[in-house]
Amino acid sequence: MISAKSYIKATSMDNAISIAEKHAGIFRYIAGGTDVMVNKFQGNDDASLLIDISEIAALTEIHVNDKFLEIGALVCLDDLKKHPFIVSNFPALIEAANSVASPTIRKTATIGGNLLCENRCLFYNQSEWWREAAGSCLKCNGNICLASGGKKSCFSKFVSDTAIALISVNAQIQIFDSEDISLKPLESIYTGDGIHPRDLKMTAILSSIYIPRNEEFRSVYKKLRKRETLDFTSLTTAVSLTKTGRIRIVLGGVHAKPVIVYGFAGNDLNLLISEAISNTRIIDNDTYSKAYRKEMIAVFLNQSFKELQLI
Amino acid sequence: MQQIAIKINGKQYHLLADDHEMLSHLIREKAGLTGTKTGCEQGSCGACTVLMNGNAVLSCITPALRCQNAEITTIEALAKDGKLHRLQEKFVEKGAIQCGFCTPGMVLTALSLAPTINMKHGADSLIRQIKEGLSGNLCRCTGYKKVIEAVSEYLLEINGQQGNNPAKPGSLKVIGGAVGTPRPYIEAEKKVRGAAEYADDIVAKNSLHCKFLRSIHPHARIENIDIQDALNLQGVHYIATGKELPVKFGVLPVSQDETAMAVDKVRYIGEIVAAVAADSEEIAAAACKLIKVKYQLLMPFFTIDDSLNDAGDNEKIHDVGKFNNNIHKKAELRFGDQREGLKNADVSNKMLFEFDGVNHGFTEPHAATAIWDENGLTIITATQVPHYLHRALAKTLEIPLSRVRVIKPYLGGGFGGKSDPFPHEIIVSHLARKTGRPVRVRLSREEVFLTNHGRHPSKMTVEMGISFDGTIKVLDAAIAIDGGAYGSFGVVTSYYNGVLLQAPYKLDNFGFCAYRVYTNKPQCGAMRGHGAVNSRFAVESLIDDLALRIKMDPCALRLKNFLDSNTLTVGQYRITSNGSREALEKVMEKSGWKERIGKLTKGNGLGVACGFFISGSALPILWNELPQSVVHLKLDFDGRVLITSGSSDIGQGSDTMLAIIVAEVLGIGMDKIFVLAADTLLTPVDFGSYSSRVTFMAGNAAKDAAENLKKEIVAAVIKKVDVNPDELNFNDNRVFSNDKKVDFSWMEIVDILTAKRGAVSVSGKYISPKLGGDFKGAGAGLSPSYSFGACIAEVEVDTETGFVKVTNVWGAHDCGKAINPLAVEGQLEGSWHMGAGQAISEQMKYYKGLLFNNNFLEYKIPTSLDTPDIHASIIETIDPEGPFGAKEAGEGAIHPVIPAIANAVFNAVGVRITKLPISAEDILAKMKENKPSGDNK
Repeated sequence: MISAKSYIKATSMDNAISIAEKHAGIFRYIAGGTDVMVNKFQGNDDASLLIDISEIAALTEIHVNDKFLEIGALVCLDDLKKHPFIVSNFPALIEAANSVASPTIRKTATIGGNLLCENRCLFYNQSEWWREAAGSCLKCNGNICLASGGKKSCFSKFVSDTAIALISVNAQIQIFDSEDISLKPLESIYTGDGIHPRDLKMTAILSSIYIPRNEEFRSVYKKLRKRETLDFTSLTTAVSLTKTGRIRIVLGGVHAKPVIVYGFAGNDLNLLISEAISNTRIIDNDTYSKAYRKEMIAVFLNQSFKELQLI
Repeated sequence: MQQIAIKINGKQYHLLADDHEMLSHLIREKAGLTGTKTGCEQGSCGACTVLMNGNAVLSCITPALRCQNAEITTIEALAKDGKLHRLQEKFVEKGAIQCGFCTPGMVLTALSLAPTINMKHGADSLIRQIKEGLSGNLCRCTGYKKVIEAVSEYLLEINGQQGNNPAKPGSLKVIGGAVGTPRPYIEAEKKVRGAAEYADDIVAKNSLHCKFLRSIHPHARIENIDIQDALNLQGVHYIATGKELPVKFGVLPVSQDETAMAVDKVRYIGEIVAAVAADSEEIAAAACKLIKVKYQLLMPFFTIDDSLNDAGDNEKIHDVGKFNNNIHKKAELRFGDQREGLKNADVSNKMLFEFDGVNHGFTEPHAATAIWDENGLTIITATQVPHYLHRALAKTLEIPLSRVRVIKPYLGGGFGGKSDPFPHEIIVSHLARKTGRPVRVRLSREEVFLTNHGRHPSKMTVEMGISFDGTIKVLDAAIAIDGGAYGSFGVVTSYYNGVLLQAPYKLDNFGFCAYRVYTNKPQCGAMRGHGAVNSRFAVESLIDDLALRIKMDPCALRLKNFLDSNTLTVGQYRITSNGSREALEKVMEKSGWKERIGKLTKGNGLGVACGFFISGSALPILWNELPQSVVHLKLDFDGRVLITSGSSDIGQGSDTMLAIIVAEVLGIGMDKIFVLAADTLLTPVDFGSYSSRVTFMAGNAAKDAAENLKKEIVAAVIKKVDVNPDELNFNDNRVFSNDKKVDFSWMEIVDILTAKRGAVSVSGKYISPKLGGDFKGAGAGLSPSYSFGACIAEVEVDTETGFVKVTNVWGAHDCGKAINPLAVEGQLEGSWHMGAGQAISEQMKYYKGLLFNNNFLEYKIPTSLDTPDIHASIIETIDPEGPFGAKEAGEGAIHPVIPAIANAVFNAVGVRITKLPISAEDILAKMKENKPSGDNK
């Protein structure tokens, strides 16, 4: 009656993938586990097999070469700030990492886990009992989106803060699976589908993050939340400016995927803001209202432009 | 299930762990180390923090099997060779421990933080780093201030720097000089060691576990409950449904409207429909899923307006009342002539205020174990009111009072939220009787929120008028409060919303009308500052507005209108000592009000407000002639005085208060006192910890008892030696005459007293004097004494985002006499923290009667980073009837802080806040409306 549950510690990526392939459909990788375990507690994740990849040493390293900063996916968020190169070259990433959850969680939560953390919605991140009482939403096998009042599309929010900062600096990720190792732009894995927000094979493992060094970014990071800690984002913005004047605006918390807008110094910045806002899909599924979050996009972006001396 | 080799506190364990078991569960249930607490089970509160290989982890979201071969350090390992770790000593010394439930996690987090702190950038940087480092550990009692002080002093000490208050190792036990000496709680050391046992830490052998099936409908008739499949599940022992416990209960005799489980219909989403007793929590939960309930849905009522209006053809929530609506209670009182008062006012204003409900947010979830044996029922439970629970259990289980024993162990915060008898307590008692086995229950955080009994959502229109010289001429309030599905304390709350406006200002023309309605939501009840927090907000906001209109300083206006000491209010409350003036003048001085007000830049603001509160209700909840509190003392051959009291220490320090008072009267050290409290078999009746009554009432009873013991001693001494009894002094562990010709040590006194008699027991009591008028409703809010206070808050408002940061709170509170100043400060700081939460971030949000934010991630209790810097001042006015002059300190302080913050927001950006919590969105919207004339600078 009470379903069998199991837990296996993987010793290497190959080992993890081979276990995963033998248990298709019933497993979940956990790294820090700080997102997965809460989702399990609430009954949103019913994987009966947990494959713990947290002790794969190869994924815990940080390397710097001429072209890239490479961050292993299992580097804890709290450890990023201990790396002088990251602190001096990618301060927005440090800010983003430090804005995730609480200090204790950041000692366990990994950067890879944060990039892959599940989308959130006030109607979804609830106990099984709650969701039954509400009438299950699209993301938990229901027929309609409750948050939007009945739409047939899921509006769960993309909430990874480090992803927003990383996309703003053009980060790529390395994906490891049994067939190949691929390098792709981080943003390319996010689908925009709130129910299945990531386009990754279940058995694949995000092994590292590569940030190009040759663009000399300046970035500004901002996060909207009620409290100065603990809270998931209601709106995250990262704006980066390269030495060549290329602007990259990335928004989180306002769509099922990161919203990205490109521009150049000298562009009409208001147009960039309008474009960013028009690309969002915000509904009232957050502690702040839809209208306010939209309004704050312009405020945050203008503040960021000022800090980057674009205005 | 797998075997795990794990070293916990240096000891090697080989335990069987379920594959998806969390480390917290393994530590508590399998290694039996209950110092590690679980407050949320979702990684949001930090109570479960332990060290894994030296690093802090949240054990409630750490898989146990991850810890194969790991070294785990729990709070139990910190003290070595019988001596606390220096950080633990600091927590004790600084008064950083109140209820103690968050303490183990807080201490371990702080310990892991120590090596990461950069000490090179001065005091402000250090405090900021500590606040940041502790920001994942929620504390609801202390407002973090004393925690931060403890950690800061520890860090300074281990880094070879001394703080402002050099550490004195070994100075934890303050002896002698009892009343007025700041001292840690008597149980602080036990709490900081993780040795204090809370309700869920006490495991009776062979216990069954209980889980509940809860309604998923807000309003529905129960047509059928099919439990057969659930009963067939292996490991299930009993399933109870509502019909087995049909007797109604409620904390107030006038609101006996609730049953332990829904009998015929459910009235809110979350109401208990069935209960399972099983071998494990997991089996019980699985069984709940197999129970099938057939409902007939009824139209729900969710809002105050829905419930005030005629229900039409829809079924009412309760079949009571003459009218076809869902009004539970109407309370109205009028004094003077409000129309005349308004006519005589030069300036008046009427404003509508709205408040969301808020929850106590205590860190310890409800938990209980019931045991049934030859003595009847024993229940160990997290309750503020053992006495009323005792009565409710006897009533609902239909057994004599003499067959019930309620034991309150250490309790992880209450704030009013554990002051009703609760369904889960009745149900586990019933299940224990039915199964013949002890039955345990612990509620999840979501269930705690569903159980609620928090502050009522409210709407009120309040009108005030003043003369040009600033004299208040009239106050009139029309109030409606949303009680949720059941009565709880709601009748009292209805009155308190109105009557507790008749001070601290002199009013000749004052009236109110309050309605409490039933709605199909979790019930509301008493929460810190009961009843009057929201209406106080309205009045203090209006005073601020009126002061501006007549161009008078809002402090000056308040000072002009304060009631005097030793006077009657318009509703015939007897005011004895009154420190309003001193409190306001103190916070004005400390905040630099006169120098700063009107001179701050836009976005920065100062705001002021005042308040008052009862020191216990003069009338008991259940009308009878028992004293409000009885305390027994027993002195035996060993020289120790045993205090037995039914009062319930919920983290506010009442056990320590009793000990201090007895020590003071008898002139003996605290080491000669032992407190046994809150066990209804062993301790005499005290009505419980609600309405800020314990220091005044149980304290007076303790003082009376100690004086009676003193009389016994004097009688024994004068039989033995020739001495004038009036010349005998009790001090410094001796009894001596003025000329020292008679001079006995305490042990000599004990020998004299017990000779040929044995142990001596005495009793003391407190009975409130007859007070108040003889009109209907005159008893509401009557108290033998009232506390008074004032707050000035400072805010920074981001004019682009509307975000409000409360930076400082200067508060002063007249507690009569601080029996234990360290504890009083702790109560004040905690009150201001909690008030800041209601002001800025806390609210209960619903979707069709379903609570959205039922966890500590979405219910936004301020963290250490969000809590303002708090500057507490204790005002002492020596109340003539309080024990050594003491009055309440635990609730009243919350009243002024919330309007002070809102008034500061007005001062900062010219926006008058009329809805709580203060929303950035409202601020921005109103700032836009105000432009261009809105700038008040």
